[in-house]
Amino acid sequence: MKLGLLILVFASGPLRAEEDGGDFQRYAAMFQQKCAKCHTVGLGDRVGPDLKGVSKRRERKWILDFIRKPGDFLDSDKTAMELLKKFNKVRMDELNLNEADAAGLLDYIDAASEGPVGPQDLELPEPDPYARLSMPDEHRGILIGFAATAAGLLALAAVLFQFGFVRIAAIAAILSLASGYWANGGRRDHRVFSRQQGYAPEQPLAFSHAKHAGTLQIACLYCHYAAERSDAAGVPPLKVCMNCHKDVKRPKEDPNGVGEREIKKIVDAWERRADPAEKGIQWVRVHDLPDYAFFSHRVHVGNNVKCQECHGPVQTMERMRQAAPLTMGWCVECHRRPPSEAPAHWKRAGATLDCAVCHR
Amino acid sequence: MNSERDDIEAQDRRDLVRRGSFLKGMAASFAALSGGGCVFRPPEGKVVPLMEQPAGVFPGETLWYATTCGACTASCGALVKVRDGRPIKLEGNPEHPLSRGGLCARGQASVLDLYDSHRLRFPLLDGKEASWAALDAFVSERLNGVAVLSETIVSPTLRFAVERFLKKFPGSRLVEYDSLSASAILDAHARTHGVRTLPAYHLGKARVIVSFDADFLGSWISPVEFTKDWSPNRQPEREWDTMSWHAQFESRLSVTGANADLRVPLRPSEQYETLRQIGLAVASLVFWKGPKPPAGEPSSLNAAAVSDTAGQLARAAGRSLVLSGSPDAATQCLVNWINAMLGNYGETLVLDPAGLQKRGSETEFDRLLGDLEKGAVKGVVVLSGNPVYDHPKGAELAKFLDSAKLSLSLSGRPDETAVRCRAVAPDHHPLESWSDAEAVSGVLSLSQPAIAPLYSTRAAIESLSLWAGEPMSALDALRGRWKKSVLPGADFERRWHEALRKGVVLSDVKNPKNLRFDGRVLERLSPNPLRSAEGGFELSAYASPVLGDGRQANNPWLQETPDPISKTAWGNYASFSPEDAAKLGIVEGRVVRLSAGAASIELPAQIQKGHARGVVSAALGYGRTHAGPVAANFPVQKMLPVEREELSGADLFPLTAYSSVRVESTGRMSAPAKTQTYDEMSDPITGRRRPMVQETTLQDYFKDATSGRGKAMEVGPSLWPAHDYPGPKWAMAIDLNVCTGCSSCVVACGLENNVPVVGKAEVRKSRDMHWMRIDRYYNENGETAFQPMLCQHCDNAPCETVCPVLATLHSSEGMNMQVYNRCVGTRYCANNCPYKVRRFNWFDYAHEDLTQNLALNPDITVRTRGVMEKCSFCVQRVQSAKADARAENRAVTDGEVRPACAQSCPADAIVFGDLNDPKSAVAKKLGDPRSYAVLSELGVGPSVFYMTKVRNKKV
Repeated sequence: MKLGLLILVFASGPLRAEEDGGDFQRYAAMFQQKCAKCHTVGLGDRVGPDLKGVSKRRERKWILDFIRKPGDFLDSDKTAMELLKKFNKVRMDELNLNEADAAGLLDYIDAASEGPVGPQDLELPEPDPYARLSMPDEHRGILIGFAATAAGLLALAAVLFQFGFVRIAAIAAILSLASGYWANGGRRDHRVFSRQQGYAPEQPLAFSHAKHAGTLQIACLYCHYAAERSDAAGVPPLKVCMNCHKDVKRPKEDPNGVGEREIKKIVDAWERRADPAEKGIQWVRVHDLPDYAFFSHRVHVGNNVKCQECHGPVQTMERMRQAAPLTMGWCVECHRRPPSEAPAHWKRAGATLDCAVCHR
Repeated sequence: MNSERDDIEAQDRRDLVRRGSFLKGMAASFAALSGGGCVFRPPEGKVVPLMEQPAGVFPGETLWYATTCGACTASCGALVKVRDGRPIKLEGNPEHPLSRGGLCARGQASVLDLYDSHRLRFPLLDGKEASWAALDAFVSERLNGVAVLSETIVSPTLRFAVERFLKKFPGSRLVEYDSLSASAILDAHARTHGVRTLPAYHLGKARVIVSFDADFLGSWISPVEFTKDWSPNRQPEREWDTMSWHAQFESRLSVTGANADLRVPLRPSEQYETLRQIGLAVASLVFWKGPKPPAGEPSSLNAAAVSDTAGQLARAAGRSLVLSGSPDAATQCLVNWINAMLGNYGETLVLDPAGLQKRGSETEFDRLLGDLEKGAVKGVVVLSGNPVYDHPKGAELAKFLDSAKLSLSLSGRPDETAVRCRAVAPDHHPLESWSDAEAVSGVLSLSQPAIAPLYSTRAAIESLSLWAGEPMSALDALRGRWKKSVLPGADFERRWHEALRKGVVLSDVKNPKNLRFDGRVLERLSPNPLRSAEGGFELSAYASPVLGDGRQANNPWLQETPDPISKTAWGNYASFSPEDAAKLGIVEGRVVRLSAGAASIELPAQIQKGHARGVVSAALGYGRTHAGPVAANFPVQKMLPVEREELSGADLFPLTAYSSVRVESTGRMSAPAKTQTYDEMSDPITGRRRPMVQETTLQDYFKDATSGRGKAMEVGPSLWPAHDYPGPKWAMAIDLNVCTGCSSCVVACGLENNVPVVGKAEVRKSRDMHWMRIDRYYNENGETAFQPMLCQHCDNAPCETVCPVLATLHSSEGMNMQVYNRCVGTRYCANNCPYKVRRFNWFDYAHEDLTQNLALNPDITVRTRGVMEKCSFCVQRVQSAKADARAENRAVTDGEVRPACAQSCPADAIVFGDLNDPKSAVAKKLGDPRSYAVLSELGVGPSVFYMTKVRNKKV
């Protein structure tokens, strides 16, 4: 049904990829990054029109000029203005394409228009590549060690106090307290034991990334659209949910009614949006860097680092979980990787190790 | 001094006690924590997205909007940086034809006024919270025969709304005044040119500038515009004589005087006669045949300086400019006379199009007080300004406010005037409202809201039009006005949006009037007789470049920024010349009483080099009673073990009604909070000159471009391996020739980098946190030089080698990095820094005012107690420029990265860029023979270098 129409197609298969060589893959990826947020090829209109067979509907030159400089058209060109009106006055982003890229994208759209339409497996990294990093047992050992030290010192302090060594007892007590403090993970900002890894709090809304990113294969950047232009990836505003859920009120398969119940929460919040008492969805933050560490999504997305490389196999997660430790050692591991060892899809490798890149 | 040390020691003992109790508390909380079980996790954070994201807005992305700075009537163009719906920084708008990208300290700091939790949050009726409906009902039935009192209205739309309002209520009228009045200049032009207006000054065209007490680089009329005009002419060129010549005759040492080539201390009473003598000398040089003015009080002036100045002026006829800040119209008439003789009208100053920043009239204000006395005016609507505080006759006005049928203030703050009014209808902050401004005829700039109003306030335009019975929104009023008179004709929408984007529109002034100087008035001139108190010191009350007239007195940033000359923060003081101080037997910090008539204030004394004898000067803008806790000098943080100090500033405005005051010494002392305690360029012990500031004269510079440079000591071979900078190597060049010391960079740096405010007691202990300071030195001749001092990002940084935990390191781009989360606070680095630019967080300068915290820059860590901090070369801006460039697949261009200090500088004294790019502006500066590094003999290899100061000495 309508849900089916939402399914995205980014490329039309390995066979085609071989035919067209590297360009096809490249523009397939570019389409996914730049266009798929708003357009499909053959799966119906979304934020913008379905692009299937677009070069049969319009002149090729018009399309090329339009996608390179949409701003010039949207205020003056008749066709563009009509389309703008039809699509709720959502203006197309300036994509800053050069001529070759624009032509390549259009070739890709033409090719994809002829291809079969159906769910397409994303090339996913192996499931949870960071599993080996999650809370190593030896770290647990250190925690227990601290706890034991704390207890021991406290006992020692008590004994010393009994015998009148007040000052030494006080020192032992303070050391004991400090050990206890560290045993508990230290100050909030000190994630020395990466205790946030694996954190998967219950959310106010049982949103399933497995369903949306996995089964339905909605591109990450469709919802987290800020990630490619801002430091923050952002949690999508309700309006983005409503793009689909204004029509989709219950999932196709919803044996125990969970889907319908959860979707209703969004729709209800959306309908009450004018009410100041309506506070929206209060998501619980999963990935939270300490305040002295700065991370830029746009730099990493721009470098073709895949979301899953830091966030783990999100498309398999029913409930969002912090897959990676997000510690400095873990960050630096990638930053240090020389080009020879870096994944081929990264634009650049061997990132800077200057402290000020993250700490300022 | 002893007593001060005792104070500090006592303070430290108290601190110790508090630390003791702190430890106890900490132990208890640890115990609780250990008992709490081993499942401790960080508290849960929430992410709450918007319902609907406005188009073009992305979470975490920075947006810039063009608007107009609302901090004073100069109305500079500004860009507001908005992050996630919050304006967090103001910067100059480079497209604005007057301010051209500069913004002063007050403008920069005004973003903090928006988040001031002591603004009015709702309308007031008889001092109590009221609804807007109740207020409107109360006001509307009392509006007949009122006077609208306002500081100069620079917004044409607001003026239009006022005019419509006045038409609706017969018998009502508009009275404009200015706290920093230029009324005498306007009155003088009414007499000499037949039109009461302020000229538009073009300092950029002037080769010779002679100023009498007009602090045009600091606080006079439009300092940013004037600095932008003045500074390009101060660049010496070897090939030809392009440098302008600037003489300053003044009663106190001002920022402008400190930058002058010839500076003559002059009492205000001598100004008339000095101007007359210069005028007569000029008259004989340009063969002026017209009438000549009568003599005034004799003066002790320097005949050589007079003939020299007159000669310079006559040689640059048509390209010179005489300015005066005198409040006496007769004196201003002489200024007009000299400018007219030299043919400067139409060249360096223009009457049509005119300056509109100041239109206030002292006579009108006096007439209003008279009419209130007689009962001819039934009520007062104070549209803007704070006349009870910032007008010398404020107390008289306040009396009528108490008794009038209607006294209404539209102030957004519960200020001195608002608390005396029966009704208060608070206006928005400029960053919350739609408005426009026309500072010089034909230059129209727009203001747009950068945030929805924080409180229940209402735009003045809306209030006025509602009371006039034609309610409309401020935006409709503005658009209507612009459609009709600014952007007439077709295609309004597109041009309106273009204007909004640019922030400013230039419109032609139709048929400029050709106004002629009428010399007949000269014969009838009589200088204003001095109203003096016996025991007489002449009074020079001035607006400091930092606090201005005091409207932003509750702004902690401005309070903590030291005065550029005295380097004293938090409070004003009475300045005396060293000779007068010796005569009176007072030392620095001795509290003196200044009195005249019924007015009397007490201020600590300050001994100022270069100050005119027989004059006492003090800054306006302090001593406010209803500005808020910061102005009253409450401790900035409750948590700090800092004693609450008495309000140290005093209000000068009542005294300005008198031109001379009585001075008595009291027995008390009040130590000033100084950020710099050494003044001389020469070593106080050896008498040898210290080569921090290197200077020369223009003549010497012509002979030898490297003149004035101290002999650098031989630098031995380095023990450290050289650095390899494969990418950029960031560096900064600071031109000492144009740095005026205005302190705009200090405030810009603080706001950009979340630098904490520490309060008066801590500044006194030299614990100020400014990452950038401006050192002020006096040389052997008593001349002044300013030197911005910040982390020099040394190649072989002494701080890096002593840090035991590697918290300060060298980056691959030549920056010296400070990693707060590694720092354990040993302070070795600060001790080993030869430039003394590192700052230690002695306390958690807790940000308790949650509203104010909204102005924090989210790109920068808020530091905690026990860590060292310092200038980072605005590394966040470098990062963001690099990310922008990478997204667009290009290299970072020269000039794309501008640290906050360089961006804000109205004199363009600071250049930042990549030294590895030989075409960059900073690399060219390094190649200039004037460039030198401070303390280069240490071999630390600083990345900041300075350009020798060249003084244009004609004699």
